[in-house]
Amino acid sequence: MTSAAANGTPAGSDPGGQLRRLAEQTRALVGQLTGPLRRVQVRHGDTVIEIEWHDRTTPVAAPPSSPADTAAAGPTPAAGLTAPPADHATPADQATPAAGHRIGSPIVGTFYRAAEPGGTPFVDVGDSIEPGQVIGIVEAMKLMNEITTDRPGVVVEILAGDGEPVEFDQPLITVAPG
Amino acid sequence: MFEKILIANRGEIALRVARACRELGVRTVAVHSTADRDSAVVRFADEAVQIGPAPSRASYLNAAAIVEAARRTGAQAVHPGYGFLSEDADFADICAENGLVFIGPPPQVMLALGDKAKARDVLGAAGLPLPPGSREPVPSSAHAATVAAEIGYPVIIKAAAGGGGRGMTVVTDEADLAPAYHRTRQTARAVFGDDRVYLERFLTQARHVEVQVLCDGHGNGVHLGTRDCSVQRRHQKLIEEGPAPTLPAAMLDEMAAVALRGALAVGYVGAGTFEFLVDENDQFHFIEINCRIQVEHPVTEMITGVDLVQEQIHIACGTPLRLRQPDIRPRGVAVECRVNAEDPQRGFTPTPGRLDRFEIPGGPFTRVDTHGNTGYVVGPHYDPLLAKVVVWAPDRELALNRMERALSEFDVRGPGVHTTIPFLRRVLDDAMFRKGRLSTGLVGRLLDEPSQTRTA
Repeated sequence: MTSAAANGTPAGSDPGGQLRRLAEQTRALVGQLTGPLRRVQVRHGDTVIEIEWHDRTTPVAAPPSSPADTAAAGPTPAAGLTAPPADHATPADQATPAAGHRIGSPIVGTFYRAAEPGGTPFVDVGDSIEPGQVIGIVEAMKLMNEITTDRPGVVVEILAGDGEPVEFDQPLITVAPG
Repeated sequence: MFEKILIANRGEIALRVARACRELGVRTVAVHSTADRDSAVVRFADEAVQIGPAPSRASYLNAAAIVEAARRTGAQAVHPGYGFLSEDADFADICAENGLVFIGPPPQVMLALGDKAKARDVLGAAGLPLPPGSREPVPSSAHAATVAAEIGYPVIIKAAAGGGGRGMTVVTDEADLAPAYHRTRQTARAVFGDDRVYLERFLTQARHVEVQVLCDGHGNGVHLGTRDCSVQRRHQKLIEEGPAPTLPAAMLDEMAAVALRGALAVGYVGAGTFEFLVDENDQFHFIEINCRIQVEHPVTEMITGVDLVQEQIHIACGTPLRLRQPDIRPRGVAVECRVNAEDPQRGFTPTPGRLDRFEIPGGPFTRVDTHGNTGYVVGPHYDPLLAKVVVWAPDRELALNRMERALSEFDVRGPGVHTTIPFLRRVLDDAMFRKGRLSTGLVGRLLDEPSQTRTA
């Protein structure tokens, strides 16, 4: 099961240019679709295309960027996930946690604070955030999953470092009611 | 040898595998759901990764999360235990694509054998005796009626993709065949996503006997004798013992030899179990192969002295099998009782709850594989197996006495929690069972149910 990110070109060889062709076709497909896309999965063997739209009731943080913009980026968001409610203790709990709501990782993977290495972090301490806003990326199985917040507030704590492996439900940031 | 193995399972089997690894000097990674974060294997393992929420499909069946966990911890191999992803050829493929060794048969072997209809074809060709029935999936109820008329009632309709006792219907009367056929296909489609079914003659007084084999990837294999698993309720095994009692030794030897020949013929690698039904005339019929370590594997370990999980790991590592058939000398009798958190008084409904008391049996030749402890909470998310009590003795009578003694020591209590212990003791006390006159109808008779249960 190899999932090729629709609008990203992972590092490494691309025998026969298959991945490039797949990416081109996916870009064309994305251009024909309307509405805020949440996730596109394309698979070549056995031919699978899966498309998820953002729920119309969920505000979308930013307008979907054009494929050309993201094609060259490093870690490219391919999927968006809302963090699970982090309402119980987790292994990564610290001794003196800041008061507020913790956003946990919805999947096992590697946490990135910015869209590309050395880039501006999605959020930093002191930032005000809105529901649906991207607060980071968790890479799992070569897929970049956007992590969004489900409530408004102010970021009071960053709990996971850039490039840090995270577990399911591990707190990533703390948000205090703004 | 591997340096680090990830254990993609939970409960008693996860701990069992972790123990085997520790004895081999291999480091372990436990993966767990949020519900199991305080579990025995998480405490025991060298590392633990939380991979998802309580529901299995998001945690223990979440291949992506498990592979991520293996990658970040640097595990080289994945032991899938039983259930969950243990017989999932796709998962084995994903492991291989990510440079992980899947501890089990190669995906293509699993794929061919996991499909019951295909497995019958392949192993029938390899010389295993098949029960009378359709050679391929039955496409219509009219076709089913023709086959049933040929082989005679009662018949059993089985899902080709079935397993774990699900997706099977027994039909005793011709009038019930068409509705049962459609119902089974519907269930199979819903549960397995594959509605192909086939038909077999249903053996009412059959015994369920299985053969354990070990094969390496170099063409070597051994069988480790038989286990009788006839004591079962609605296709769920309750008591297993080895060797299968009161059957002619020559017949058991032949069954074991045929199973091993079949395993080698299909290129089987790892630990596997060939399941047979033995009819009233002591004829055996192959029903299926399980491509994993089984719940009841300790029975074989106790009578052969072979650690099957360690052997699985050696084989996965590519080490040629050190055992040869003459090295396997089964001795005495071993019996296993499955203690489930279920209420036998209320149709074996699962009884989740907190264990205020959990005192396991001890004493000579008594092994208890469990993840339970005082304070453990039996959750509603997973199967209700709480412990396996296994005893060994030089002969069957002594072994059954020893089991009776062990179960009388087992003290499990908690608000709302019931176990199968009282029912297991009833079986041990049954005159027919004591005589070794086993059949898959035994539990049904004890429960005063219509005796038409049988497993595969």
